[in-house]
Amino acid sequence: MSEGAPSTTLLGRGYAWSTSPRVLRSLLPAFSLAVILIAIFYLQPRAMSPIGMKLLFNLAVPIALATIAQMFVLAVNDLDLSIGAYVGFVVAVGSTMLSGGLAGLPLLEGLIPDPAPWIFTTPLAGIVVLAAAIGVYALLGAVIQLRNLPSIVVTLGMSFIWAGLAVLVLPTPGGSAPTWLRGLMTLQVPIVPFPIVALIVIGLVVHLLLMRSAYGAVIRGSGGNPRSVARAGWSLVRVKMAAFGLAGLFGVLSGLALLGLTTAGDANIAVRYTLLSIAGAILGGSEFVGGRVSPIGAVIGAATLTLANSFLTFLRLNPDWQIGAQGAILIIVLALRVLISRGEVRN
Amino acid sequence: MHADTTTIVRLDGVEKHFGAVRALDGVDLNVDAGECVGLVGHNGAGKSTLMNVLAGTTSPGAGSIVIGGADLTGAYGVAAATRQGIRCVFQELSLCPNLTVAENARIMHPSFSGFGWRRRAGALIVGKLDEIFPGHGIEAGNMVGDLSIARRQMVEIARAFSVTDTPAALVILDEPTSSLDAHVANQLLDYVRRFIAGGGACILISHLLGEILQTATRIVVMRDGKVVARRPANEFNRTTLVSAMGSVVEERGEHTAAATSRRSSGEPRVRARPAAQTDKLELLAHQGEIVGLAGLEGHGQKEILIGILQARKRRSDMAYVEGATALVAGDRQNEGIFPLWSIARNIGIRSLKSLRTGALIDRTKEDDLAAEWRDKINIRTPDLNNGILSLSGGNQQKTLFARALASDAEIILMDDPMRGVDVGTKQEVYNLVRREADKGRTFIWYTTEMDELDHCDHVYVFRDSRIVADLARDELTEERVLHSSFEPEA
Amino acid sequence: MKWINVTLAAALLAVAGGGVAVADTSDKRIALSNNYAGNSWRQAMLRSWESVTGQAVTDGVVAAADAFTTAENQVTEQAAQIQNLILEGYDAIVLNAASPEGLNGAVKEACDAGITVVSFDGVVTEPCAWRIAVDFKQMGKDEVLYLAEKLPDGGNLLEIRGLAGVFVDDEISAGIHEGVAENPQFNIVGSVHGDWAQDVAQKAVAGILPSLPDIVGVVTQGGDGYGAAQAIKAAGRDMPVIIMGNRHDELTWWKEQKDANGYETMSVSIAPGVSTLAFWVAQMILSGQDVPKDLTVPFLRIDQDNLEENLANTEAGGVANTLYSAEDAASVVAEAKAM
Repeated sequence: MSEGAPSTTLLGRGYAWSTSPRVLRSLLPAFSLAVILIAIFYLQPRAMSPIGMKLLFNLAVPIALATIAQMFVLAVNDLDLSIGAYVGFVVAVGSTMLSGGLAGLPLLEGLIPDPAPWIFTTPLAGIVVLAAAIGVYALLGAVIQLRNLPSIVVTLGMSFIWAGLAVLVLPTPGGSAPTWLRGLMTLQVPIVPFPIVALIVIGLVVHLLLMRSAYGAVIRGSGGNPRSVARAGWSLVRVKMAAFGLAGLFGVLSGLALLGLTTAGDANIAVRYTLLSIAGAILGGSEFVGGRVSPIGAVIGAATLTLANSFLTFLRLNPDWQIGAQGAILIIVLALRVLISRGEVRN
Repeated sequence: MHADTTTIVRLDGVEKHFGAVRALDGVDLNVDAGECVGLVGHNGAGKSTLMNVLAGTTSPGAGSIVIGGADLTGAYGVAAATRQGIRCVFQELSLCPNLTVAENARIMHPSFSGFGWRRRAGALIVGKLDEIFPGHGIEAGNMVGDLSIARRQMVEIARAFSVTDTPAALVILDEPTSSLDAHVANQLLDYVRRFIAGGGACILISHLLGEILQTATRIVVMRDGKVVARRPANEFNRTTLVSAMGSVVEERGEHTAAATSRRSSGEPRVRARPAAQTDKLELLAHQGEIVGLAGLEGHGQKEILIGILQARKRRSDMAYVEGATALVAGDRQNEGIFPLWSIARNIGIRSLKSLRTGALIDRTKEDDLAAEWRDKINIRTPDLNNGILSLSGGNQQKTLFARALASDAEIILMDDPMRGVDVGTKQEVYNLVRREADKGRTFIWYTTEMDELDHCDHVYVFRDSRIVADLARDELTEERVLHSSFEPEA
Repeated sequence: MKWINVTLAAALLAVAGGGVAVADTSDKRIALSNNYAGNSWRQAMLRSWESVTGQAVTDGVVAAADAFTTAENQVTEQAAQIQNLILEGYDAIVLNAASPEGLNGAVKEACDAGITVVSFDGVVTEPCAWRIAVDFKQMGKDEVLYLAEKLPDGGNLLEIRGLAGVFVDDEISAGIHEGVAENPQFNIVGSVHGDWAQDVAQKAVAGILPSLPDIVGVVTQGGDGYGAAQAIKAAGRDMPVIIMGNRHDELTWWKEQKDANGYETMSVSIAPGVSTLAFWVAQMILSGQDVPKDLTVPFLRIDQDNLEENLANTEAGGVANTLYSAEDAASVVAEAKAM
């Protein structure tokens, strides 16, 4: 018989070379972050201080959380085009109901008796609404799986619903972040700036959740080969619900982090997050299909995007060119990745 | 009859129909502990469907399923199969390429959870790999996507045999050695023998009859959704096994003389060699010929069709082609029709060049072309502007034929186009193909149905992505085709 | 006592205007954070900033005055931009904000880093920042007050509003109605939405005119006066007093009428040069002067006598502009203190 490879090649060769492109690829996000960071330090040495790092990385925290949310959806071969609007909705709810209860809603102004009874001022209302929003996300996952709908269409539709709800909750910019949230986001940690601590914690926690836990393997597996997961007796509906539910949860965390930073709400505050989160996840080594995701990469990708923005400001680039330059940075990193992947295939 | 305690699976009168196709037509099968059942049969015999029924991924239309003494008819699914210890190694790989070897073990075994599950799952799978394939060189932390096909297959086999809280009572292996080399394949077959000696049971499906005869204790032969023979393995030899798979040999048609004479004259229009071909055999097709491609499904016939199709557009090592080509797809839904377009547009799409007036498509010309072919090929529709989905499957397939035949193509490639088509339509199309061939067109026809080879002037049998037999019309017998499909020539 | 304060502040600032501030600001750096540059008003705003601050830098009043515009009109983008400006070590940030609330976190960080934040036009609510706001209500009221002075007998008025649902439209309209309430000799007989655009206003006015009695005045919001005039002319009616909004075509038409028949009116709007006012206010704060947190942008009002001068300075298709000086800033501050 002559089929297959001779046994010497099957058993004899090590796989050092076969893993090296993988290692290279997983180091690429960290490498691009380092390059941009060094460039910023060169342009603006002041950024090297703890306060400088805090300012640089502050806004990366909500973006990283949104990117993680997107990554959970990518892990099951779907795409979430509503995350930006959803984060905006969370900000709107957070700045009204989470700090002032139902009485915080501009919509109900004048309708609530004064002094308002407990039920109208408890922040519990906000918690219930946010929990329900996470439930809606999980439900979307179920619908997408059960009805075999394209997630792009479903989430695009949902983005309008979230945006509409956000405007309903908070018609004009305003409201205020709950004090505990403001306190949390301006937390002073000795030596290391808080945003960096937060980013590291987010990365590690999600890494444990998705990459190390037993159920995490099933979620990723359903992105890699859904049929195999189904044949092993897992319910794909439940897997999708879990992935989308987690996306909803991290969307809530993203909105709250953003609210804690801005201290007041605006329904349209996170419109850019949809594309940023996709770009961040892809930059961090995740792929659109195949369940290949990386939480730590996603956090790094989000940080890289945030820093790229700052880098362009420090460069004093004409704003007309900035979006293009941001895109160019993205393309360069992705092109590097394709080159590395090609090396992988060749091997 | 075996005692119930040792019977793992008993199927009685299991039926499964896909539309008009009877994939399983009343199958009885029982598997006892301690035996390895070899399951053989040609394309479409129903082996894969039977496997899916056992794995719980397909529920049968009729019949009873008794597992481990309990009647699970109607309540049988993937979960029940897993609980009862029925494991499958499917022909197409079913591991998650983005997970590590240990994580893939976890997908199969939900009992791995909590701290250290990764280590325990890894130890289990690597232990099983050591047991089946000593010297395998696979680590628990390897990403499956990075492994060679052979190693992936080894992981999948080891995973199926691994035991946690559920037993591995019956392991079904569908072509498990197709991507393994001889040494590793023997390791597997040795393990299967040890496994059944230890009280386990196996169902082994393979196109390598030697493997079946060596390993199986009992052989079940299927044909056309039925079990046609079941006997202890030692009562079979290669020849009796092959003849059990084939149908009664019929008288051959009368095209033989014409075909052989055609073959010898003139330059071939198509000359193609599979990439994996090591010897001198090559596919030749002349003007006016119908050339058949035979062999088991997925053994390289489709690849060579695509190779020939693409040879016109860019230089290909695989094929040399003289003349325009057109493909009639067999997988209608995925590769053939434009589901939202009208019948007329589905016919015209291959001939846009001749339908143009200036830069635009001339709708009158398109309609005329469609009307001409509706009459020639007898597409049954009141209006050609209806959507293609308004047609029955057979008429959709005729539309695809019309698309190819209405074009300027001199070489028509057919990728098993008669799948799921009714007998009446088939006869119409056979006659049409013969008429067109007589007018000088060349047909290259991949078919999984033995009967259709009778319409060919020349047949090439494929195995393992190679041409293994080159049969002229007068040499063609079902037995020879089966022989070549299943076993290397002596 | 109040007037003494005013004169004192003015006197102090007269010195600053001469190039020497109370405390030296020649090593201070000021940045402009702008969220949008996509219309002619914003373009004029940026050009005004460039010319005034460029001179100030040359004169050594401040060390630098750089303008930054975000690539996209997004709150988060501008928040990031402000954080970067903090990092760059600017002493003051002059801010035209994308959201009155959404930037408060970033503004607070700037304040905490010891940076002076002066917001104008798009102001922020964060208490640590200065605000140079436009009193749109007053603008509406001023229109009626002018008419009351010019037409003591009163009469019917037509109101042209802006884009429905926008805050600015509501404010100006509220001011107009307040003015009418205080001057009961006027009566608003019709109201249309002109969307701050000539063509829309012309169509809307032409539509409502036949149902209206004689009107003596048209109160507008800017950008709509020329269209109203065209519609009224086409209807063959007597030309009422149309309040203008400083647009080039409005001023041109007014000038033609003035030359032909002595037509009288007034024109009012916010000058894009308000960015330079904010610059000088920031410079004042940096020099250590006491500046109230809430200031009001003066309107740029054009009257019969300074029409020619302003028209000459307005580009075709643009808006009348004025560049503010340190003295102007001082008087705005003094006015706010006096309140």
